[in-house]
Amino acid sequence: MAPNAYDKLKHSVRYFLLRRLPPCQQIVEQISDSMEHRLSLRERINLKLHLWICAWCQWYLEHLHLIRDAARSKGPDLTSGPSLSSEARERIKRATDINQ
Amino acid sequence: MEHRSPDKSPDCAAWLDDHGDYLFKYAVFRLRDQTAAEDVVQETFLAAIKAYANFQGRGSERTWLVGIMKHKIMDHFRRVTREAPVGEGADVEDGPEHAELFQASGQWTGHWDPNHAPTDWQSTPSELIERSDFWRVFSDCLSPLPQRTASVFTLREVDGLNSDEICAMLNISANNLWVMLHRARLHLRNCLELNWFKRPES
Repeated sequence: MAPNAYDKLKHSVRYFLLRRLPPCQQIVEQISDSMEHRLSLRERINLKLHLWICAWCQWYLEHLHLIRDAARSKGPDLTSGPSLSSEARERIKRATDINQ
Repeated sequence: MEHRSPDKSPDCAAWLDDHGDYLFKYAVFRLRDQTAAEDVVQETFLAAIKAYANFQGRGSERTWLVGIMKHKIMDHFRRVTREAPVGEGADVEDGPEHAELFQASGQWTGHWDPNHAPTDWQSTPSELIERSDFWRVFSDCLSPLPQRTASVFTLREVDGLNSDEICAMLNISANNLWVMLHRARLHLRNCLELNWFKRPES
């Protein structure tokens, strides 16, 4: 097949699928769901086909996994952020003294 | 004050000095509420006093205390849920829906608006986590979300609790949880991208 005809065909298939498959707004919800439970066969097929032709949703999927992997790789940095106030310290001291 | 030998009786004052701030930050990060976090720290110490006989210096004190605190955090969510149940859809309706990220009209309705579509981050998880501002931006980005949505997201994606545990803890349906997680992910991903990867002019 001439490259030109191949490109045309690819374009038509892509266009056809984008018109027929659920739009990105629904797909991103399914991408999130796929991280929680097994999707139905129909959902899996739609998702696979959509991802095949949509770079934006591919990146979306990649980013969600990136965020999960990064967040689980190392606990939150607990050096910054708020500290216990002196009043709270006093209160805790009193409560634990009574119970000791 | 006389220093007490660690294997005789629990030294709560020392715990407070050595681990109080750490435990407090640990709880604030998950509960997103400083008053609730103070209570949870106190409950953790009270439980630790009772359980001290089982510990007796085996392993790190901080790890042991964090282990107790994880249970106290779950207890907190259970209690809050009993007092103010999450109505079907209550938290779900509140969070930002981010409909503006998608095209509202035209032949590509519901597809990404090109101005808000994801871009190539060209990052690995380790590159992300090595950013010095990772956790600050992560936490800041979660703050516009409803408190419970942000907490649920943290328990799921940072602590790795599974869906069943979270549903049981908050007494919500799996469907409700999935919508909350989806909203949180859509919002957080967009916020991280705006902070880290988007050129300021766009």
